[in-house]
Amino acid sequence: MSQGGAVASAGVGGAGAGVQAMRMVSRGAINFTVGLVILAILWAIGGHLIAANPKTANFAGFGLWPTLQAFPELWSMGKLQNATYASGYRLGTGLLIAIVIGIPIGILMGRVTWFRKLTDSPFQFLRMISPLSWMPITVLVFSAWDHSIIFLVAFASVWPVMYQTAAGLAKVDPAWFKVARNLGAKPWQMLTQIILPAISFDIFTGIRLALGVAWVVLVPAELLGVTSGLGYAIKDARETLAYDHLTAMVLTIGIIGYMLDTICALLIKRFSWHRGDL
Amino acid sequence: MSNSAAVAVSSMRARSANALGHAAISVGYFIGGLALLVAFWWLVIYLTSKDPSLSQFASFGPVPALKSMLHMWETGHVQKALVASGYRLGMGLLIAIAIGVPIGIIMGRSKRFRELSNSPFQLGRMISPMSWEPIAVIVFAGWEPAIIFLIAIAAVWPIMFSTAAGLAKVDPAWFKVARNLGAKPWQMVTEIIIPAIMFDVVTGIRLALGVAWIVLVPAEFLGVTSGLGYTIEDARESLEYEHLMAMLVVIGIIGYVLDLGCQALIKRYSWHKQ
Repeated sequence: MSQGGAVASAGVGGAGAGVQAMRMVSRGAINFTVGLVILAILWAIGGHLIAANPKTANFAGFGLWPTLQAFPELWSMGKLQNATYASGYRLGTGLLIAIVIGIPIGILMGRVTWFRKLTDSPFQFLRMISPLSWMPITVLVFSAWDHSIIFLVAFASVWPVMYQTAAGLAKVDPAWFKVARNLGAKPWQMLTQIILPAISFDIFTGIRLALGVAWVVLVPAELLGVTSGLGYAIKDARETLAYDHLTAMVLTIGIIGYMLDTICALLIKRFSWHRGDL
Repeated sequence: MSNSAAVAVSSMRARSANALGHAAISVGYFIGGLALLVAFWWLVIYLTSKDPSLSQFASFGPVPALKSMLHMWETGHVQKALVASGYRLGMGLLIAIAIGVPIGIIMGRSKRFRELSNSPFQLGRMISPMSWEPIAVIVFAGWEPAIIFLIAIAAVWPIMFSTAAGLAKVDPAWFKVARNLGAKPWQMVTEIIIPAIMFDVVTGIRLALGVAWIVLVPAEFLGVTSGLGYTIEDARESLEYEHLMAMLVVIGIIGYVLDLGCQALIKRYSWHKQ
């Protein structure tokens, strides 16, 4: 399909750059597909070996075919949608809180030297407290498990947002602030006209990193207590010995994570000033 | 050379007094920041536990935590947990480095491999490490290797991608020069590639450490009866909240020290010495 697209655009005879871009896209699409096909083949071979060996035949569900067959099954049971929705809500709310807290503090760190220096040691210390170790405390503080998971996600993802925002602001040419001040910009205008456009690239880089960390934290947070979400679905599949469901959920986590990461990468590209580099 | 050395020495002397002042100021900020954190912690717990119905929360405060940390150190609980977790973390990171660096080098050197491996590796990277846990427990006989596997699979991606990105930045002329001077493939690796990308490898290890640190604690919640995660879980179940807070502080300190160690290594291998 992508090859056809490249041929079609060449036939139309658009600008040379357009054709080249199309070729690059189609090349990327082919590599993308072939890479995944190779992974699938290796997986299928592994699954076949597991199923063929009588000692491990119980675990045949781990193979590629049982896993793919589990997808429609999980979908019709509604498990896939429910788990994705529950996890998506926790992830989204947690990230939102992290962004709302992280960006203002990051801007403050980037603009106020004493604040940055004073907060460095406590923030670095808090950052390196493994987020899941807060779990026993959050369970006591928040009455609902849902809130405690959202807190863990927010706590884990606030640091990359904060530090990227601060680092982005540190790179901004100080002359911009001078010019804006000389032109009579009010603090609010300074924020909306100078700071936010200048650091949106760094903010999205921070959000992408935050997403990666939040994704790591979300699954173990859902292994305990709650009865919904992707983490719970994995635990549930293991306890019911439904290995095909287990690998299907693991694959789902990978696919959703990949999609979210790709969206972040596209946003970063969109807000980058160096369009040529990417 | 002696000339530049003399200049360096004289400028160092001129700067040393200044540097001393700067060092004192940054130590002041460091301690001041931590003191503020502890004060805030104390205040939150003080205000919470003033309410009689919440008085049991007093044991979450900094003073009980500090006392229990000293006590747990004397009884050897902290050291035991650190040894157990440190072994798992170290083994996991070692495996991640042993696998991630060579694959990263191949990704950086072979365009075909990089393009083909991109989609499966990105997919693998975005599989939340702890979701491998049920599979790891089935595949590996004991919990110990399962935890090491989880840490390794969490840590391998940053190391791999950072190594590949580092190699992409290396001036291609270096390889040409080395080839023209008759470097064998092995020498190419040890004389050109490794020194050129050490900075990026260590940067990757720092990122990997961050992720491994996140994964370690929940991995130890289940199955094992040693390590930092287990100690937290144990403190919670026995309602010893001062132990819980003490372990939280220990985790923060160890993580901070490990991160600082990585930062120092990154600085050491950076070409832009500043």
